[in-house]
Amino acid sequence: MDKEHFQKIVDALVELKDTSELMLNLAYSSIILNSPELAREVQALEEHMDDLHTRFELLVLSSGFSPDESKDFLGLIRLGVVTEEIADAAAKLGEVVLRRLKPHPILKLAVEEAEETVTSAQVSEKSILNGKTIKEARIADETGMWILAIKRGRRWIRPKPTTRIEAGDILIASGYAEGEEDFKKLASGNKEKESN
Amino acid sequence: MDEWEKIEYKPIPVRTLLAEMKNLSELMIDLAYSSALFHSHELAKDVLELEKRVDTLALLLKMNIMIAARDAKDAEDLLGVSLVSSSADKISDAAADIAYIVLHGIGIHPAVREAFERVEERLGRFTVKPKSILAGKKLRELRLASRIGVDIIAIRRGKDWIINPKGDDRILKGDVLIARGTRSGIDELEDLAQGTLRELED
Repeated sequence: MDKEHFQKIVDALVELKDTSELMLNLAYSSIILNSPELAREVQALEEHMDDLHTRFELLVLSSGFSPDESKDFLGLIRLGVVTEEIADAAAKLGEVVLRRLKPHPILKLAVEEAEETVTSAQVSEKSILNGKTIKEARIADETGMWILAIKRGRRWIRPKPTTRIEAGDILIASGYAEGEEDFKKLASGNKEKESN
Repeated sequence: MDEWEKIEYKPIPVRTLLAEMKNLSELMIDLAYSSALFHSHELAKDVLELEKRVDTLALLLKMNIMIAARDAKDAEDLLGVSLVSSSADKISDAAADIAYIVLHGIGIHPAVREAFERVEERLGRFTVKPKSILAGKKLRELRLASRIGVDIIAIRRGKDWIINPKGDDRILKGDVLIARGTRSGIDELEDLAQGTLRELED
């Protein structure tokens, strides 16, 4: 297998893994925030996942491997299947909101009680995040929370390192509960804890 | 290994069961990927053990939901809980599938390692050297998540594993830490475990 083909397989696997985990986080977020929009985003990603997965499998199968190598390539195929399974589970979670099942208090409590939490915060004019790219903002390094999605007006943006954060953006982030407060402070631009 | 545990009703709050299922299923995915990345059969076996635990929790949750529903309205309200529980169960199955790849000698292609180098959230495995400042400290004192953005997901001590260690768990010299977090955090943890980095900043 040439280097270029190898890199393509790596790229596709990274995207499968990242997308499946993003979906899972967004799906739990949709439940906590009771957001049908987020849940629809998860369903859209599920369709994208199907395409990605097919492309990945074709790449793997067209690698021209020898019988000795077939086990390694089987491993790749199986990992692809696992990411697809995770994506399916996420899509199922999104259904809870889309079917307008009343978010049972137990559900919200249980999801919030879990160690990893999701939260949303609006970026204020005076926030140091305002005008920075995701990469420059180093939110994960500062707070241990990851930006899952950005809502700008009515649009949802999947953050890339080069995405620029603007005042008014609503950031959806996940991470350990202890980073939540720091994250909210960063977005609000207030040193003190936000009251809401 | 293949023994089926007898399942008996226990009155456990649905919320507790669901939170544990969610935590375990997510932990299992990280552990399973770690087992593939670090070629660890022990970690893979732990994932399979945890999968059984999640199965048991799912059944307990079902029973508790049945008892909690007194009328049609309750049933509707609890349907969401049931959907979330079955999703967490599916996720734990997916993790078990990764563990199966590791345990049954299906190969881990070099592209897998390369892919893990690329993703934003990193996994790392480090041995705690005697001169490391981590040795002898409780996780609560270290506050690694808020200080450097990493979470210890498992500790191997000799033949034993501490899965999902809590604040009261203490790191000892010689421990092998399995961690996940930001790239810079994982690099920092490596230096801390090595003993080349001797302080933790707030």
